Amino acid sequence: MRGEIVAFCCERSAYPAADLAGKGKLCYPDNLRVIRIPCAGRVDAIHILKAFEKGAAAVLVLGCEDGACHHITGNIRARERVRYCDMLLKEVGLDGGRVGMFNVAPNETHKFVRIVNEMNEKIKESGETK
Amino acid sequence: MTSCIRDKNIDRVVVAACSPEFKEHVFQQALENAGLNGHLLSVANIREQCAWAHEGDVTEKALELIRMAVNRTRLLQPVEEKELSVNKGVLVVGGGFSALNSAIQLSQLGLPTTLLERESTLGGRIRELENMYGFKTGPMIEAAEGAKNIDILTSAEVLEVEGKIGNFMVRIRKGAEEISRSFGAIVFATGYETEVTDQDFQLKPGVNIISQERLAQMLQASSPKGRPQTVGFIFDFYDENSRFPTLATLSNALAIKQKWGSEVYVLCRDVKVDSEGADQLYREAREHGVVFSKFEEKPRISADDGRVKVEAKDVFLGEDMTLICDLVVAEERILPPAGTKDLSFLLSIRTDSQGFYQDENVHLYPVASERKGIFFIGGCRGDLDFQRALADVSSVVMNVYGLLSSGKVVVEAEKVKVDPQKCVACLTCIRVCPHSAIQLARTEGEKEVAEISDLACDACGVCAAICPAKAIKFEGYSDEQILAQIEALGAP
Amino acid sequence: MDVLVIGAGIAGIASALGLADAGLKVYLVEKEAAVGGYAASLCCKATDVCSGCSVCVVPEKIKQAVTHPQISLLTNSTVQRVGGEVGNFCVEITQKPQYIDTERCVACGLCAEVCPAEPKAVYLSSAEAIPFSYVLDERLCLRFKGESCKLCGESCSTKAIDFERKPRGQELNVGAIILATGFDIFDAREKGSLGYGRYPNVLTGLDLERMFNHEGYLKLSTNGKEPKNIAFIQCVGSRDEGHGYCSQVCCKYAMRLAHLIKYQSPDTQVTIFYIDLQTAGKGFAQFYQEYRESIRFIRGVPVEVSPASSDDLEVRFEDISQGRVCREIFDLVVLSVGISPRKDSWDLARILGINLADHGFFDTKEILNSNGTNVEGVFLAGTCQGPKDIPDSIAHGMAAASKAMQALTVRGR
Ligand SMILES: Cc1cc2nc3c(=O)[nH]c(=O)nc-3n(C[C@H](O)[C@H](O)[C@H](O)COP(=O)(O)OP(=O)(O)OC[C@H]3O[C@@H](n4cnc5c(N)ncnc54)[C@H](O)[C@@H]3O)c2cc1C
Ligand SMILES: Cc1cc2nc3c(=O)[nH]c(=O)nc-3n(C[C@H](O)[C@H](O)[C@H](O)COP(=O)(O)OP(=O)(O)OC[C@H]3O[C@@H](n4cnc5c(N)ncnc54)[C@H](O)[C@@H]3O)c2cc1C
Ligand code: SF4
Ligand code: SF4
Repeated sequence: MRGEIVAFCCERSAYPAADLAGKGKLCYPDNLRVIRIPCAGRVDAIHILKAFEKGAAAVLVLGCEDGACHHITGNIRARERVRYCDMLLKEVGLDGGRVGMFNVAPNETHKFVRIVNEMNEKIKESGETK
Repeated sequence: MTSCIRDKNIDRVVVAACSPEFKEHVFQQALENAGLNGHLLSVANIREQCAWAHEGDVTEKALELIRMAVNRTRLLQPVEEKELSVNKGVLVVGGGFSALNSAIQLSQLGLPTTLLERESTLGGRIRELENMYGFKTGPMIEAAEGAKNIDILTSAEVLEVEGKIGNFMVRIRKGAEEISRSFGAIVFATGYETEVTDQDFQLKPGVNIISQERLAQMLQASSPKGRPQTVGFIFDFYDENSRFPTLATLSNALAIKQKWGSEVYVLCRDVKVDSEGADQLYREAREHGVVFSKFEEKPRISADDGRVKVEAKDVFLGEDMTLICDLVVAEERILPPAGTKDLSFLLSIRTDSQGFYQDENVHLYPVASERKGIFFIGGCRGDLDFQRALADVSSVVMNVYGLLSSGKVVVEAEKVKVDPQKCVACLTCIRVCPHSAIQLARTEGEKEVAEISDLACDACGVCAAICPAKAIKFEGYSDEQILAQIEALGAP
Repeated sequence: MDVLVIGAGIAGIASALGLADAGLKVYLVEKEAAVGGYAASLCCKATDVCSGCSVCVVPEKIKQAVTHPQISLLTNSTVQRVGGEVGNFCVEITQKPQYIDTERCVACGLCAEVCPAEPKAVYLSSAEAIPFSYVLDERLCLRFKGESCKLCGESCSTKAIDFERKPRGQELNVGAIILATGFDIFDAREKGSLGYGRYPNVLTGLDLERMFNHEGYLKLSTNGKEPKNIAFIQCVGSRDEGHGYCSQVCCKYAMRLAHLIKYQSPDTQVTIFYIDLQTAGKGFAQFYQEYRESIRFIRGVPVEVSPASSDDLEVRFEDISQGRVCREIFDLVVLSVGISPRKDSWDLARILGINLADHGFFDTKEILNSNGTNVEGVFLAGTCQGPKDIPDSIAHGMAAASKAMQALTVRGR
């Protein structure tokens, strides 16, 4: 395993936050692969599972803060799906917590970087990063 | 770029450069200029999210991001633009200050407007305000009645709303009749209700304990028999919605001082001065001798020989304070008008945590709702003072004008689309769509399938993720296109 | 017909978007190099639940405005003269020389690497600046001090740098003008007894907002540690003799920030000194109960902040509930500064022939129309008319757009 972190980023919140982190030259691990999506609610279980199948060490779904989703409930639906995937992963023996749904506002660069770093630490601990 | 696309007969483009956030539209334009559909483009963000975000050599990562983008681009299909015609008519529900003003402004901009009021007369609560601002309701109502493209329906109610932005079909009850009309947009301006909170008092509202409205009437009556010597106001104990009561108290307290010369005591928790001119009024009231006392707990009120006894623990003096008043203006709660619950259910629109229209989502403020073409203004969406209600009015006029004025709207056709072959009409998408953009429609084969309105759709993709039959395709973010990006992970 | 919007804060942006969406051509003139005004530098105050501060609406609106085909953005520009009347204003605009072309600059940073000046004369103003481009500061550049340095110009691979650019004047013909020049933050130094500018651990609300934005958490400048005992002082520069109005934003931002601090480090004590808490308004009541439990509120007016042992500060305040003067020690004191009228408002008022009201904000003509001025065709949007929060500024900006639209339509008939 190579240990990528795949991040599905909502184009209204986490995606601009990731851009802003770059503009501010805040460094984060380079194993992050961002996939831009219109809303966290677009993410389906198959997308998450496929990422693991292709060797990702972790998957992040990043959407707006609770109560500030442009599509009202998109981030809540995403959270349900992530929880479901986490359960599935546990069943096939991948320890829990490798997939997470987090809330990031478009101006919360530091939160974005912290989430990525924390996930990276987690996969490092389980010895799966390069 | 344009000439390169043309010369080399390129049919899809990947730009590996800066973030698409601010530049995607520029690249799309370049494609369009070359005669290629703007959607046949992916941007690999190798600047903000690669070169600038990491230290050391990230060429490998950049190459991988480009491979991901290439994989996606292979599967892209064009999305055409299409012009749809919309009904220019606007329905304004309510007949108060906000409703009247928006109807007048809309009609001046040439949009035919229907004003629908539940009561038999227009005016709503503005009459209460005449006293405070010295303006008259009459001319406003006359202006609405006189305008040639305003249709006024009084004693009328909305029974049902079908359809989407551009073409809402509204069933209306007017008196004993039922009528159906079509509108391009709907503006709700149904105001608020007030209720005197008596549950904490031993006394019910009556001769000595009155509402602001009653006080305003008394003040308007030329000279009352037996002017009250001492008047007490109570507000801001029940909940946080006390901008109106604050403004009403301040102006009425001043009016009492000027007209009756009574002693005036105001008992409250906080003076809510965060509206225009309120702090100035507060200052003036104090200068005119109105006494303000602030308490953390509700005062107790009891009868005392035909007068009213108010007892409270004073924060200024730190001791109990007892006040005997001839007249007490009791606290009033600001509530959503009757019927708000039913109407919001009917529209599948959420109310806020206090039952007013419009969900508490910052992206909807000031006047939008989760459904395109449906707006909320004025008191019905919360504790808005008069100046804020006015800003709502003009703001909604601008929104509606922008949407409907030309009679047509250009949309991206079938960007999110249901495959009628796969749809099993399970209604899941209709239930989850946050923008109520999906409805059942009959295909040629007489089968019922879900159909997405290009006008009402806000392209979130929630439906595409949830459809159990995988019948919904979101061009640009389809399952195949997302999975193709993942396929490129790590593969050299 | 075209419309001119002066000031690209959130209110001006809202006006421009409203008009542009209705098909009008809009010139959006901004004095600074970047758009967004104050609101663009504020921080998100969500825990993981949005607290409703509306700051995240700003980058989104900025993006819509700068990518809108109907909006021409003129940064570094000011209005010099206005002639004519509604339906036909003639406006003279000057743009400061833009030595680095924002369209060409790809922000690669090569120029800053080679710049020999100390401090560097080419730099990025901030990560959230839009347009995102390097700027050349005349005051620092050696070339403008008579030397012949042109290293940055040579290093730039996109040829974005041109030292020869001169101020550019242009004349616009517009049908209506919207004024959205915003506010000045109250200068807390004017309240000398509160110690701002003298003691490093006395900050303003704006300092705190920016610290959250740039660091993600709070730290004391004196020892680099997180503060443990924080006081917020409300109504600094509002509701006093010189400022007879409530700024409408400071109570809420203070409570939201206090809650965010408590969320990040629950063992931090936060105390808010206030006169009246402004808790009305959509979406706030639901949080207020929670805030009451986590934050200590004292109804009282601090009269003086003075240094105590080491870096700590002593706040002397009149506790209204106890009716006496008390003292308490804090390690950080935050002054909740409010919204003041812009000091340079008078210049524009003169150019446009409009009036200033008592407090120094632009004056409106009628009570029922807070957008209109005494000059027909000139409208007000946002905090240049009086204090407003972001949603109210957006609503007011849209309202100004609507009034301008109506003025032009009525004339067009
Ligand atoms: C006591 C008091 C004092 C105030 N003082 C001040 C002040 O000093 N300064 C200030 O700025 N603001 C003040 N306000 C606030 C001000 O009244 C409001 O901002 C303003 O009236 C809002 O107008 P509106 O059109 O939204 O609502 P309203 O005037 O309430 O109008 C709503 C209308 O809609 C109708 N309606 C309701 N439901 C339906 C339905 N389902 N179908 C059809 N019609 C319906 C109602 O019958 C009513 O006619 C005060 C309010 C009160 C109660
Ligand atoms: C510390 C602090 C915290 C706040 N927190 C919140 C919050 O959490 N939530 C909230 O809703 N609100 C908050 N606010 C309020 C918010 O900042 C304002 O509501 C908002 O910025 C007002 O926008 P504006 O466009 O009216 O003014 P501004 O932001 O001041 O924008 C005015 C623009 O006009 C430009 N300009 C000025 N003069 C000229 C000229 N002559 N020619 C050309 N351009 C000119 C300026 O450069 C500026 O870009 C806060 C304010 C402060 C001070
Ligand atoms: S707290 Fe403010 S910035 Fe953060 S998500 Fe909510 S509204 Fe947006
Ligand atoms: S919002 Fe609060 S702190 Fe600000 S001026 Fe008003 S009362 Fe004072």
